[in-house]
Amino acid sequence: MHPFSIREALLAKHAQHVVLIHFPIALFLTGVGFDFAAYWTKRSALATAAYYNFIVAAISTVPVIATGLLAWQFELEGQKLKGILLQHLVLGLVSSAMICLVWFVHFRSRRAPEQKLPPSCLAMELVAVALVAITGHLGGYLSGVNIPS
Amino acid sequence: MRRLKMQRSKTSRILRTMILGAAAIPSLVLANGALRPRSVTAAQEKPAAITVTIDNFSFAPMQLEIKAGTEVTWINKDDVPHTVVSDDHKLFKSRALDTDEKFSFTFKDPGTYEYFCSVHPKMTGKIVVK
Repeated sequence: MHPFSIREALLAKHAQHVVLIHFPIALFLTGVGFDFAAYWTKRSALATAAYYNFIVAAISTVPVIATGLLAWQFELEGQKLKGILLQHLVLGLVSSAMICLVWFVHFRSRRAPEQKLPPSCLAMELVAVALVAITGHLGGYLSGVNIPS
Repeated sequence: MRRLKMQRSKTSRILRTMILGAAAIPSLVLANGALRPRSVTAAQEKPAAITVTIDNFSFAPMQLEIKAGTEVTWINKDDVPHTVVSDDHKLFKSRALDTDEKFSFTFKDPGTYEYFCSVHPKMTGKIVVK
């Protein structure tokens, strides 16, 4: 095993979903941080940084959803989900939709002549952060990172 | 005199029957005792069912040695769903087992069987069938 072997990384025995999920979470939370900072400081550079974070977060939700659904189909043979697995799936899809929606609202407002965000956007970002946090918590619980050593 | 003789022979017949009956009881008990161990042996010959507990993200016991024909039952005692999948993905593969759900498989052929949880591939176990 070599830590920088691409072949070994791609063919790793662990699920790729648990690796890729960190990208949209980190990018989205950073984006929200920049957006709140831009709102308070009125600095457009921070708003731009938030926008680009949201773009990459929205794009990175695609492989995350794909690998999650593939893991469900291949490892569990697409069986009817229940309990934590079902909650994680539903909340994951809703969280991804919220991340894409936040990006879309920013995209629309940047294209508008006045370039002003709707006042509800920050509230929407907070709701999305809460959903991402709950989804991540359930994902962490499922993956077993919380088990006592 | 004749009547007295007849009465005596009747009494001795009754006594004989009683003695034979008394002798038959212990022999019946012994016979029963002799049969019982045989039935225990038969029960012992039949491979017992074995349970593997899934708890705290591990299989317990992690390694098992069993006789061919033994049925192994896995029971999930974790709050998180787990699966039981043979390393070749073909021999046995359970559904996602929720808390207290079970999965059983009978190992008919001798050999070494390694398995894992497909949700948590670090969870592994081994069964040696003799």
